[in-house]
Amino acid sequence: MGAKIAAIEYALPIREVTNEELSLEYPEWTVEKIFNKTGIRSRHIAGSDETASDLACSAAEKLFALGRARKSDIDFLLYCTQSPDYPLPTTACLIQERLGLPTTCGALDFNLGCSGFVYGLALAKGLVETGSADNVLLLTGETYSKYINAGDRSVRTIFGDAAAATLISGDGATGEAIGPFVYGTDGAGAKNLIVPAGGSRQARDSRTAQEHRDESGCIRSENDLYMNGSEIFTFTLKAVPMAISALYEKSGITAESVDLFVFHQANKFMLDTLRKKCQIPEEKFVITMENIGNTVSSTIPIALKDAEDSGKLKKGMHVLLTGFGVGYSWAACMVEW
Amino acid sequence: MKKSELYANLEVILELEPGTIRGDEELESFADWNSLALISFIAFVDGTLNISLSPQELQRAKTVGDLTNAVRAKIED
Repeated sequence: MGAKIAAIEYALPIREVTNEELSLEYPEWTVEKIFNKTGIRSRHIAGSDETASDLACSAAEKLFALGRARKSDIDFLLYCTQSPDYPLPTTACLIQERLGLPTTCGALDFNLGCSGFVYGLALAKGLVETGSADNVLLLTGETYSKYINAGDRSVRTIFGDAAAATLISGDGATGEAIGPFVYGTDGAGAKNLIVPAGGSRQARDSRTAQEHRDESGCIRSENDLYMNGSEIFTFTLKAVPMAISALYEKSGITAESVDLFVFHQANKFMLDTLRKKCQIPEEKFVITMENIGNTVSSTIPIALKDAEDSGKLKKGMHVLLTGFGVGYSWAACMVEW
Repeated sequence: MKKSELYANLEVILELEPGTIRGDEELESFADWNSLALISFIAFVDGTLNISLSPQELQRAKTVGDLTNAVRAKIED
């Protein structure tokens, strides 16, 4: 039985942080300069007692409330996050209980960032097409803001918090509506996007909490998110075009026959550069991050949902998805909408 | 690519008046020389010359001339 994306909904925290607010904190960066460098005007930031799983549950409840899915039909829950509620238990188990999903439902977390949605689709497709599950609820949820030092403008201007809920179901069709996939992993880049302290390798203590100012004037400690933007950029510039070429070869699809390209919404400058390098026409390329920011694993489902709502994404279209970032980890796939 | 084209693009990246760059300027003398400018320069060279420059080698550059040499070295590789 062929797996298909049946529905997507997403949830954003209520609080918005605008470029005007950030510009007051970083006077050397004007409102327009922040927008010109990132393509972002505002981003939503979770409240102090609001977790990624809270957002994920809100997104899932929207899906159920709109009648796009029934709780009793969900037989597998996949939760992609790097912001779990606890080191253990698995947050997906807590979400199963909160959403009231059947206790016969399988549930697991997986820890990926910007590539997570595409990997989640691959896992869901595997579950459905092997007959292991009929209706997979794929949740992506992230609150990077909680890892970000208030003094680190390099990441604070880019990242926003969000969650998305995607239903992947068997549709009885014989054709391949999700896939094929290509994957990539290079752990040599792990140090370039990392929260160094807080896991088993390095516990948080008074030393890791010490803040320092880097050569760009950004302040952070080892308890905070660190991103080497130029290294991430050059990795992306190399890995993504190669992955897309590999996907064309594997799928037999030509660039011209792809109707829409939905890339991880990293930042506008990176997307514009990738679009030109991959020779993708502007009208086939989705950029939808102006009032949301980079929401890590949720950017692709949010972009798909917005593109569908705006009429840019229509039934039957062939869509190329690619996610890339922290790990390094990347993946690309085709989806028939 | 001519040096003048490279300089003209650097002037756009660094938000300088056209004709400002002569080639011997210290990069740190430019207010807008930062990691974002570095990324923009990498993207420009990648897009126009199809050359991949690593951030590490560019971070060692002290002057505009060092940047030019980094690009030239790649062309000659």
